[in-house]
Amino acid sequence: MSSHPSRRGLLGAAAALALAGPRAAFGFGAPTRVDVAELQLARGTLSRPNAWSRLLLETVQTTSVECTPRAVQLEPDDPELFAHPFAVLVGDGEFPSLGAAAREQLVRYLSYGGFLFVDDTSGVPDSPFDKSVRALIQDCFPTRPLTVLSAEHSVYRSFFLLREPVGRVALHRRLEGISLGSMHPLIYSQDDVSGALDRREDGLDLHACVPGGEIQRREAVKLAINLIMYALTSNYKHDQAHVRQLMQEGRLE
Amino acid sequence: MMDWLTAGGAFGGGKLLFTGEPLVIGLVAVVAVVVFGLAVSGSWRSRLPELVSLLVGLAFVGLVAARPVWLAEGERVEPGRFVVLVDASRSMAVAEPGGQTRFESALALAKRLQATETFHFGGELRSGSPSVADLDGTDIAGALQAVSRRYAGEQLAGIAVISDGIDRGGLIRADAAGARSLDESVLPALGGPLTVYAVGEARAVPDVSITDVVSGSFAFLRAPLTIEVRVERSGLGMESVPVTLTRNGQPAGSGVARFDAEGHGSAVFTLVPDAPGRFVYEASVPVAAEDAVPTNNRMSRVVRVVRDRVRVLQVCGSPSLDQKFLRLFLKEDPGVDLVSFFILRTQSDLRSGFSPDELSLIEFPYRRLFDDDLSTFDLVILQNFDYEPFFERDSTRLLGNIAQYVRDGGALAMVGGDRSFDLGKYGGTPLEEVLPVKLGVQGESVDEAAFAPMLTEAGARHPVTRLLADVAENAALWQRLPPMHGTNLTLGAAPGAGVLLRHPSRKEGGAGLPVLAVRQVGSGRTMALTVDSSWRWSFSEAALGGGNEAYLRFWKSAMRWLVGDPDEQAVVLELPRENVEPDEPLRLTARVRDAGFAAVAGANVVGTVIGPDGEVPLSSPTGDDGEATFLLPTAQRGAHRVKITATSADGAALGSAETVYAVITRDPELDRIGADAATLQALAEATGGRFVAAGTWQEPLRDATAGRTIQDRRESPLWSAPLLALLAASALALSWWLRRQSGQR
Repeated sequence: MSSHPSRRGLLGAAAALALAGPRAAFGFGAPTRVDVAELQLARGTLSRPNAWSRLLLETVQTTSVECTPRAVQLEPDDPELFAHPFAVLVGDGEFPSLGAAAREQLVRYLSYGGFLFVDDTSGVPDSPFDKSVRALIQDCFPTRPLTVLSAEHSVYRSFFLLREPVGRVALHRRLEGISLGSMHPLIYSQDDVSGALDRREDGLDLHACVPGGEIQRREAVKLAINLIMYALTSNYKHDQAHVRQLMQEGRLE
Repeated sequence: MMDWLTAGGAFGGGKLLFTGEPLVIGLVAVVAVVVFGLAVSGSWRSRLPELVSLLVGLAFVGLVAARPVWLAEGERVEPGRFVVLVDASRSMAVAEPGGQTRFESALALAKRLQATETFHFGGELRSGSPSVADLDGTDIAGALQAVSRRYAGEQLAGIAVISDGIDRGGLIRADAAGARSLDESVLPALGGPLTVYAVGEARAVPDVSITDVVSGSFAFLRAPLTIEVRVERSGLGMESVPVTLTRNGQPAGSGVARFDAEGHGSAVFTLVPDAPGRFVYEASVPVAAEDAVPTNNRMSRVVRVVRDRVRVLQVCGSPSLDQKFLRLFLKEDPGVDLVSFFILRTQSDLRSGFSPDELSLIEFPYRRLFDDDLSTFDLVILQNFDYEPFFERDSTRLLGNIAQYVRDGGALAMVGGDRSFDLGKYGGTPLEEVLPVKLGVQGESVDEAAFAPMLTEAGARHPVTRLLADVAENAALWQRLPPMHGTNLTLGAAPGAGVLLRHPSRKEGGAGLPVLAVRQVGSGRTMALTVDSSWRWSFSEAALGGGNEAYLRFWKSAMRWLVGDPDEQAVVLELPRENVEPDEPLRLTARVRDAGFAAVAGANVVGTVIGPDGEVPLSSPTGDDGEATFLLPTAQRGAHRVKITATSADGAALGSAETVYAVITRDPELDRIGADAATLQALAEATGGRFVAAGTWQEPLRDATAGRTIQDRRESPLWSAPLLALLAASALALSWWLRRQSGQR
């Protein structure tokens, strides 16, 4: 079909890159590359540095984004949080309310360009973690409730074209978020996306993905990469040039 | 003789008044009594004639002191005045088919009317008979009001108005449906009967005229601009006329105006301005051989084109934190129309095993962007973008396009990263020629160490880095901003570039390497920011509770300067208006600043005003405030172009600028030149007067009973009459002579 782009059309320009040889450097050192900050609370949260390292490596291999494949653990009121514009809050249990300083910093972080991915790993509806997350968001953004992201949301097309979001489990198959300006700086999944990414030191996956197995894991990886890309490009994929082109090529309805 | 002796008084009816000061009269009386008393002392019977003469003399002196005045009052009646008002507006200069102008006909009529008083009028009333028809406007009602005020309370024998009836005042009003009628409310009570003489014949004069070019005084860049050209026809049978529109002398459109039954028509042009600035739009219609007034066949109007939104192309070689924050800023700014293209995947990412059909990627339309659409952008940002993998064999041409786009007035910003400057292989390309930094670094071309950029002297006052108005506060703000993580290395600033931020330790040629540099290239501007962590000015400031104002202001200022905000050129020309009336004072201010945006005192500002009748030179030095002012010529109707060049005292070029203005070419007096007898007839009917058609003669209405009573009042100062002085002197002299005859001293 002529409506589909040729492989050279999509990546033709990149073909010349191979001839150009390796670049002299990748970013100006770690501080300018993308990494992950894991928010750690007194209880209820998890740290999965291997999951994020895997995501960042997958991102480097799949996209042109330069990443430092590491995760740093920070408390919400740590000013160092502002050195890491991509943060995650992962957990499976109830966590305590944030103090005023931490809450204020979290609001400022999200208001001025930070991005937070919240991942409920419990794999059950109405988990204690879910209740704590919703209470936290109510405290921080009382006028901006969590809403389900529509199928047209940029996060579903920021790099991969995704039909539905899944993680280690596929119970909810949805993402929620709060909007500030033109983007959603906080996105929430209840399907344990980080569980699909997490692995042991020897590289083997830690958790089985149910019910879809490795195909589901692949979709979870794609979703996680899209989250990184969305955090960087926000609603870029809703720019007219992209929408028009994707529709012309029949890849978007 | 008798009048002289009596100071012209003391005859006819009247009365005597004494106007002397009582004090003076009293003093004179006392002196007279004393003198007489002294004269009487001793034997007075033998000196009776002497004393009588003395008494008479003193009485006359007292009479002079009393200052007698003879007051005569009366009245007389003179015939009423006949007043003639001659229309001397420019439409009266139109020649009729017979060869005689309306004005000549009017003067002949005025002479025949033998007026007591003659006035002429255009927009206002003037005394006397006119010598030429050259007045602006025609206000018949205003002229009658002025006459009414002038002769208030006086009964006039008659008033005659001689006109072609083309009233530009308030005599005619149009209702919502466009129907025209006489507005009687503007007519004053006249002191005598009115006779209206028409000159000129309606539709007898062949003419096509542009009556107006309707547009706003400003338009938005790349937004439709509608210009309506209104035309009128008289004395010609054509159904339509071609209308041509030019912009700064270049064709901008053509159309056809079709006339309605009343001879009105219009042509509408919809244009899309592609550049900001002031432009002269001139509409014209062909001049037919029989056209009586060729000068009303063209009309100019200056339209100022402004940006409503800055159209920005952001091309980024890799999504990054730096790109993220810049996009957020650009996307949130309602004044920005942003087109972004980010390279999300390269050849080296293919091994990941995902099929292209799974991807939401589109082809990077670099040819369309840099071949066809480039001129539609106000600003191009190449952010960590390496052209080579994409442009391939078109590299030289496409980079040349960008360079030419800059020279032609476009704006370019290159932002650092591992794909920028020498790492992006821009050295030696056409694009390097327009960058503010020199490329060609051999070996290491990046320094990854963190550093705090230093604000330069030029940066302290340049609008891009002047984030706060106060110099000290601005310097303190830059000092406290978080450090940058690494920088591209360059060979220093390009010739003519201004360095606003420098590296504190990396040197080139003895000076710190430019971190932020700007440059004017041709009509465009470029900026080089050699870091990829300016986002930290936003996010790290927010961490301190300070918000992201510094980052927003920096990029906002940079964008405004790059796109050549009129207030941020090296030479700025300021005009209070772009369309002025003839002879209206119009002052041009030229502001001159150097690359660091400091006012340049003593700069030579020279230029020319190119108008319809040739060139007028301009020359003036700038003052301490860097400003030079000029009074522009506005005598000639039409478009005028001002070209200004500024050089420093040592002859170095500082910049140039151009602007345009128009002395409106519309002459309302020549919009319509067909005589309007109907208006004059309606005027006569409304006032109960007489209408005399053009080419015919009737005597004017005259009120034979009209007259004016002249009040006479005549004062004759008797005290200064020579006869009184003569009598006093004679009596005193006789008394003195008799006294000497009687042997007394």
